[in-house]
Amino acid sequence: MAKTYDYLFKLLLIGDSGVGKTCVLFRFSEDAFNTTFISTIGIDFKIRTIDLDGKKIKLQIWDTAGQERFRTITTAYYRGAMGIMLVYDVTNEKSFDNIKNWIRNIEENASADVEKMLLGNKCELTNKRQVSKERGEALAIEYGIKFMETSAKSSINVEEAFFTLARDIKAKMEKRLKEASNPPKGGGHQLKAIEPQRKPPSLFSRCSIL
Amino acid sequence: MDNLSLAPPVQSALIVTAPKHEHLLTEIESSDINSMGLVIRAIYDGNEHQKFMEKLDDRVKSHDKDIERMCNHHYQGFIDSIRELLQVRSQAQQLNTEILDLDKRISLTLNKVIEKRDELVKARKVESNIAAAVDSLTMCLPVLAAYAKLQRQLKDKRYYPALKTLEQLEYHDLPKVKNYRFSSQITQQIPLLRKNIKDASMTDLRDFLENIRKHSPLIGGVAMKQTEEQLEHEAEIIGRKKRKAQSSTSVVDGEEKLSAQEFMDYSSVYRCMHIYSVLREGDTFKAYYRQQRQQQARLVLQPPINMHESIDDYRHYIHGIVGFFVVEDHILNTGNGLTTRSYLDELWSMALSKIVNALRTHSAYCTDAILILKIKNLIMLFSTTLRNYGYSVGQLFDLLQEIRVHYNEVLMQHWVQVFRDILDEDNFLPIQVHSQEEYDKVLTSFPYEDEELQKANFPKKFPFSPMVPKVYHQVKEFIYACLKFSEDLNLTQTEIDEMICKSTNLLLTRTFSGCLSSLFRKPSLALIQVIQIIINTGYLEKSTKYLEEFVSNITGTPHEGQLSSGGLKSAMFRVARDDAEKQICEKLKQKLDEFLELENYDWNLAEPQGHASGFITDLIAFLQSTFTCFTNLPAEVAQVACKSACSHIAKSISNILVSEDLKQISMGALQQVNLDTIQCEQFAASEPVVGLPEGILLQEFAQLRQLLDLFMSLDWPTYFHDYISESSKYNLVTPQMAVILLEKLRESDKKTVFSVLKKSERDKKKLLETVLKQLRQLAQTTQQ
Repeated sequence: MAKTYDYLFKLLLIGDSGVGKTCVLFRFSEDAFNTTFISTIGIDFKIRTIDLDGKKIKLQIWDTAGQERFRTITTAYYRGAMGIMLVYDVTNEKSFDNIKNWIRNIEENASADVEKMLLGNKCELTNKRQVSKERGEALAIEYGIKFMETSAKSSINVEEAFFTLARDIKAKMEKRLKEASNPPKGGGHQLKAIEPQRKPPSLFSRCSIL
Repeated sequence: MDNLSLAPPVQSALIVTAPKHEHLLTEIESSDINSMGLVIRAIYDGNEHQKFMEKLDDRVKSHDKDIERMCNHHYQGFIDSIRELLQVRSQAQQLNTEILDLDKRISLTLNKVIEKRDELVKARKVESNIAAAVDSLTMCLPVLAAYAKLQRQLKDKRYYPALKTLEQLEYHDLPKVKNYRFSSQITQQIPLLRKNIKDASMTDLRDFLENIRKHSPLIGGVAMKQTEEQLEHEAEIIGRKKRKAQSSTSVVDGEEKLSAQEFMDYSSVYRCMHIYSVLREGDTFKAYYRQQRQQQARLVLQPPINMHESIDDYRHYIHGIVGFFVVEDHILNTGNGLTTRSYLDELWSMALSKIVNALRTHSAYCTDAILILKIKNLIMLFSTTLRNYGYSVGQLFDLLQEIRVHYNEVLMQHWVQVFRDILDEDNFLPIQVHSQEEYDKVLTSFPYEDEELQKANFPKKFPFSPMVPKVYHQVKEFIYACLKFSEDLNLTQTEIDEMICKSTNLLLTRTFSGCLSSLFRKPSLALIQVIQIIINTGYLEKSTKYLEEFVSNITGTPHEGQLSSGGLKSAMFRVARDDAEKQICEKLKQKLDEFLELENYDWNLAEPQGHASGFITDLIAFLQSTFTCFTNLPAEVAQVACKSACSHIAKSISNILVSEDLKQISMGALQQVNLDTIQCEQFAASEPVVGLPEGILLQEFAQLRQLLDLFMSLDWPTYFHDYISESSKYNLVTPQMAVILLEKLRESDKKTVFSVLKKSERDKKKLLETVLKQLRQLAQTTQQ
């Protein structure tokens, strides 16, 4: 059976309630925007296939509920994630302050080598801005992760953000595959390395083994 | 005589002959000539003529003696007489002079008299002439006076009296004075005058017709206004118990007003009619009048081109018609047969069908509910007004029914937008209230009772989203709007009730559901929103009984009559609900499909991984968290959704196995699929939603399970042995499926198994061929 993709990356969107995670995702998956605020309940996901350096990459992006009451459900998804988007709202100081807590959450629940990225959403609302771009950049540097200001509404940087994250994951994975194939550790593993599609399903389970 | 008497005795002496002569003499003396003959004869007979001669002489002598004596005797007297006569002669002369004198005098006097007499005669003549002249003049004067009157009347345009005068003149006055020249002149003029009068009155009529056309809408307006006032007045009378005093004052107001038709001066019509009937051309006139009015009717009935654009145009149109028929009615009642009931009825029925057509066409263009309401009120007033004037208006009510249907359609069109807006605005989150005030506000807008919520602390959370009270409110608004049309329509409460139920039903089953359907098509709509919609419709459904109460409160129909429609009403949201439920399943399936698309089995896998595939693990985790989150989803919906999800997964896995794209499957890969299926079955057995009978979810996997079991154990003898039997372990596995899967396994074996020469392998291969052959046979028989 012909494979429809080369890689499957699982990404996670986290951040305070109302920062626009669902909107960012909606912009990325449907290229549309919905004004009415509909709070995500529990967890939802969207899938979009992107083309990166000739590879078909399926991005399964999990959209989590920012609300505290769904925390137990959402944290379960941290472990399987290969990339995490931390989203705050540039018009909401509190959501920016909470990024620290979210990072702690990641450290506690996600695998150590997960790719992270910081997004300051709603950057089109210049009048209401409370968090400057510089502060966002400073925070990103502090944690050693990439940063972008986005607008789901005006479709600014959303594509770029996801592509950047996907590219980083891909690079990291290819590097690891290389490492795994070069040292003559085991022939059986070599076979696996050639088949990248074996990787994604195993990732989830591998985490649990780790 | 004495002589004579003496004689005889003297003669007697002569002897006997003497007497005889005596006698003869006497005879001669006394008798007539005829006796002479006899005497002479007697003498001659006697021969005594001598004697007789003597005797005769004697006799003459005697007579002479007598004469002498007599003359002597009278002489004196004679002289005296002469003397006297002479005297008379002088006297006569005297007398004559006197007479002459007298005559002269008389003549003189008489001449004067005659003169006077002549004068008198002359005067008499003059007098009689004068009298004659006076007589003639008295005869002529009325004629002339009449003529003058006629002229004056003509001048004053009082044609009818003029005509009467003319008639009087012609038949009464003029014949009497035929001999005069002026009379003949007048007589000659009469036809001309008549014609003038006719023409003039016709001009008047034309003016009238022109005027009436101008004034008709005004009259119509007044008539309708009066009807309206009357209706209001009647309504007041009905409610008079409460305020007697008020209504009594308004009665006076109403009576003082002029009635509509009095705004017009009809005299010219009557006059014209009179004139024509006097001229014995009444029928011509009637025909003319009717024809003119019919033409006017046609004009009046021509609706303005853009009538549907504003109520004013409608009003103008309607007023024109009312005015026309009010006038006609008045003419009918007062016009002395100028029009007849049948003529008017005919005209009216022609008009009515045209009106109905025009209104129907134009109202159909209308998409403004308020305008339709106005049109309806106008038509109502129109029909009431004309009914009051005795026209039959039944068709208008049929028209109103049609318009009502259209109105409801328009309303629904409007409510589509309303619902859409509500749905667009809604966040599909339970309403959260932070204060008693907010809480009460929600409760006033939507009937909801929950003791727990009552007791709960703020912030309280209603189970439904803001859309519920809004939709409820809008349904009420819709009912009000529907009712507005029924007002004054003289429908029975039951009819209104029925109509409202029907419309509301349509609104909810069609309009609201339609809006939901279009909402469901939006990609942004998440599963949870659909769930909230289901929950919402549940509450809306519960609220229908309050809606029923609401309707029965308005219509005043007892609640019993509602029960039947109550059944219908719960179906109102049913459609929407079913749709939403279907959407849940659909959305869930979409999500599952997204997972299943991530499927990346290695179909040549030699050994299974020992744990479930990643996409299945993710899928199940997702299902679990989804169903845990949807705690407020109605149980039966969750059950249906879960069942459909399980069924979908099972079917999808089966489909992958029998898919034509997949040419070969290794045993290891099949075992991996088995592992995944077990994972799913575990989920199904874990009671992901409450209230489902045990094992019912597992049944969804039964066919897949049997298929996998059969291939895991390769229990072909049992399969063939128990085939067709109900109690067979593999009763759901069709030979066709088994053939397909087995062929795929064989294909995979061909490639991977190199030690074909091994005996056990050869046997295995042979068995496989036998099984395949058997299966194909079975498949063929079942196909037939």
